[in-house]
Amino acid sequence: MLIDYLPIVVMAVLAGVFAVGSLMASSMLRPNRPNPVKLSAYECGNDPVRLPSGERFSVKFYLVAMLFIIFDIETIFLFPWAVSFRSLGLFGLVEMAVFIGLVFVAYVYIWRKGGFDWSAGEIAPNEADEVVERERALFTRSEQEVAKPPDVNEWQGAGRAG
Amino acid sequence: MNAHEYAFVVVATIGSIAAVAVVTARNVVHAALYLVVTLAAVGMTFLLLGAEFVGWVQILIYVGAIVILFLFGLMLTKAPIGRDTLDYQNRAVGAVVAVVVAIGLGSLILQAWPLASTPAAPSAPGGSDVLGSALFNTYVLPFEAVSFVLLAALIGAIVLARRDEGT
Amino acid sequence: MTGIDWVLLVGRVILVFVALLISVLLYIWMERKVIADFQTRTGPMRAGPRGVLVTFADGLKLFFKESISPTNADRPVYLLAPIIATIPAFLAFSVIPFGAPVVIFGRTVPLQLADLNIGVLWVLAMTSIGVYAVVLAGWSSGSNYPLLGAVRSTAQMVSYEVAMSLALVAVIMFSGHLKMSEIVAQQDKVWNVIPQFPAFVVYLICALAEVNRPPFDLAEAESELVAGFHTEYSGIRFALFYLGEYVNTVTVSAIAVTLFLGGWRGWWPFHGAAAWLGPVLWFVLKVTAVIYVYILVRGTLPRMRYDRLMNFGWKYLIPFGLFWVLATGAIVVLPDRYGHRRGAFMAVGIIVAVWLVMSLVKQLLESPRPAPASREGLAT
Repeated sequence: MLIDYLPIVVMAVLAGVFAVGSLMASSMLRPNRPNPVKLSAYECGNDPVRLPSGERFSVKFYLVAMLFIIFDIETIFLFPWAVSFRSLGLFGLVEMAVFIGLVFVAYVYIWRKGGFDWSAGEIAPNEADEVVERERALFTRSEQEVAKPPDVNEWQGAGRAG
Repeated sequence: MNAHEYAFVVVATIGSIAAVAVVTARNVVHAALYLVVTLAAVGMTFLLLGAEFVGWVQILIYVGAIVILFLFGLMLTKAPIGRDTLDYQNRAVGAVVAVVVAIGLGSLILQAWPLASTPAAPSAPGGSDVLGSALFNTYVLPFEAVSFVLLAALIGAIVLARRDEGT
Repeated sequence: MTGIDWVLLVGRVILVFVALLISVLLYIWMERKVIADFQTRTGPMRAGPRGVLVTFADGLKLFFKESISPTNADRPVYLLAPIIATIPAFLAFSVIPFGAPVVIFGRTVPLQLADLNIGVLWVLAMTSIGVYAVVLAGWSSGSNYPLLGAVRSTAQMVSYEVAMSLALVAVIMFSGHLKMSEIVAQQDKVWNVIPQFPAFVVYLICALAEVNRPPFDLAEAESELVAGFHTEYSGIRFALFYLGEYVNTVTVSAIAVTLFLGGWRGWWPFHGAAAWLGPVLWFVLKVTAVIYVYILVRGTLPRMRYDRLMNFGWKYLIPFGLFWVLATGAIVVLPDRYGHRRGAFMAVGIIVAVWLVMSLVKQLLESPRPAPASREGLAT
C-alpha cells in the first residue's frame, strides 16, 4: 500500500525543488533596490495600520469555520458508508438517514436563528432614507474637515509612506 | 530495521520536534503552523500503521479544518499577532503538568503494549470498506451517538456566536 | 524494484509535471484569447504565433522582476506561502488517470501517478492543505487588504468544500469505489454525468468557488480588495501563486472529467501503434471542454456579492447535497418493484439541479435598489 505513495513523494520533491529553486534562482538574477516607500504595506499611500488593532472582524467568519468543522466531520462519515452501503442494504440507509436527519435538525435550528444570514447590509426600502441621512452627514462633515488648514505634523508623518 | 521503521523514525522525529516548537514558539501563528506539522506527522503515523483512511481523515479534519479555525480565531480577535511575546512565565507549573501527563500516558502505553511484545505489523487492512462495515455494523450505537455530539456542537456554536445580539 | 521500474516511475512523474506546466501555459493563453473574443478584442498577439507564447513571456518577465518583501511582513511565513500554493496543486493531480495503461519494456504502466485506495479523499486533503497558502499569504503580508482577502476567501473555500465533498460522496456511492481507476472503469457503459447530473452541477459550482475563479473570485475583488491575499506579492512569488491557481483549475477540471465524464474513455479508440494516444487525446479534449465552460462562465457572469455567495453555499448547495446523497442511496439500495423509481428520482434530481443553477444566476443578476426618492437624495 505504501509503495503507492512513492510517485507522490517523487512528485512532491519535484514540485518543491521547482518552487524553491525558482524562488532562489530569481533572487540571484533579479534586481534588488528596496526603499522604504516601496517596502511599506500597500494602502494607497497612507501610513499602513494593522487592521485588527481596535475592532474585531465579524463573528460570522468564526461561526463559518465552526460550522465547517461540524459539517466536514459529517461528510467524512459519509465516505466509508458510501463505499460499503451496498452490502449494508436498507439497514445502512436508515442508519445514515437517522444520522443525517439529526444533524439536519441542528441545521434547521441554525437557519431559523439566522446563523446563515450574511445579508446584514441589505438595504430594505424603508431603511433607505436613513442611509441617505447617514451618508449626507458624513459628506458634510468631511467637507468641513477639508476646509481646515492642514496640520503640519500630519504632513510630515505621511511623507514616509510617500 | 525495514523501510517502514525508518519512515516511522523520520516522521516521529519531525512530529516531536514540531510539538516542542509549538510550545516554545514566540509567535502564536507560528505555533499554530508547528501544530500543523505535528498533526500531519500523526496522520503519517496512522498511514504507516496501515490505517490509510484514518490517516487522511486525520489530516483532512485536523489540518484542514481545526487549525484553520485556530488561525481564524487568531486573525479575527485581538490575539497577539506579530512579534508580541507569548510567555506568561509559568514555567514551573507547566513543567509539573508536562511531567504528570507524560508519566500518565507513558505508563498507560507501557501497560497496554509491554516493551517485550513485538510491534503490530502493518498488515491489517485499514481501507474505507473495512472501516465502513465495522462502523455501520458493529458500532452502530456509537455512530448514532456521534450525531448527537454534532448536534450539540452545532447548537453550541450558534449560541456562542449570537450571544451578543441577545437572542 | 529494478532500475527500469525506477526510470519508469521518475519518468512518469517528470512527464506529468512538465505536461501540467505546459498545459497551464496553454490554458492561460486560451483563456485570454477566448475572453478577448467575447469582448471583440484580439487578445495577446505578439509573442509567438497568435500570441501562444504570451504566458511564457509573462513568466520570464516576472522571474526577472524585483520581489518586494514588505517591512511588516513575517518573512519566513511570507516566503513559505507561495511554496505551499504550488506543491499541493501538483500533488492533487497525481491521482488522476489520464490514459489507458500502456506496455513499455514488457511492463504494464498505468498512465496515472498513484492509484491510491482513498483516491477521492486525497483530492479533498490536498484542497484543504491548499487553503493554507491563502491564509498564510494574507496574514504574513502584514497589510490590510491581504488579510481581508484571506479571511474572506478562506471562509468561502471551506464553505464550498462541504458541498463539494457531498457531491463526491454521491458519485462514490453510485460507483462504489474510492479509487479513481475503478471509478473510470465503472463508467464504461454510461458516464456518471447522466445518473449523477445533480452531483455534477454541484461539483462544477463548488469547484469554481474552490479555485477562486469568477464569478466567485471575491478573494481578489480588485475594486474592493486590490488583489486580495496576494496584494503584497510581486515577481516570481506572485508567479508561483498564479501557477498554483491554474494548476488547481486544470486539476478540478480533470477531476470533473474523471468522476463524471468517463475519464479517458472515448468513442473512437485509436488502434495499432498509437493505441495509447486515443485515450490521452480524449482526456485532454474533455479537460479542455470543461475549462472552456469555466472561461465561458467567467466571460458571462458578474462577480457574486459576498453575502449571496455564503447564502448560496449554505442554504442551497449543502441541503441539496445532503438530499441527493440520500436519494442516491435510495436509488441504489431500495428494491424497485415497478421499475420506474430510478428514472423518477433522476428526474427529480435533474429538475432540482436546474432550479439550483437558475437560483444561482438569479442571485448573481438581481440587484435590490433603494427607493427612487432616496436615489434623488444621494444625487444632491
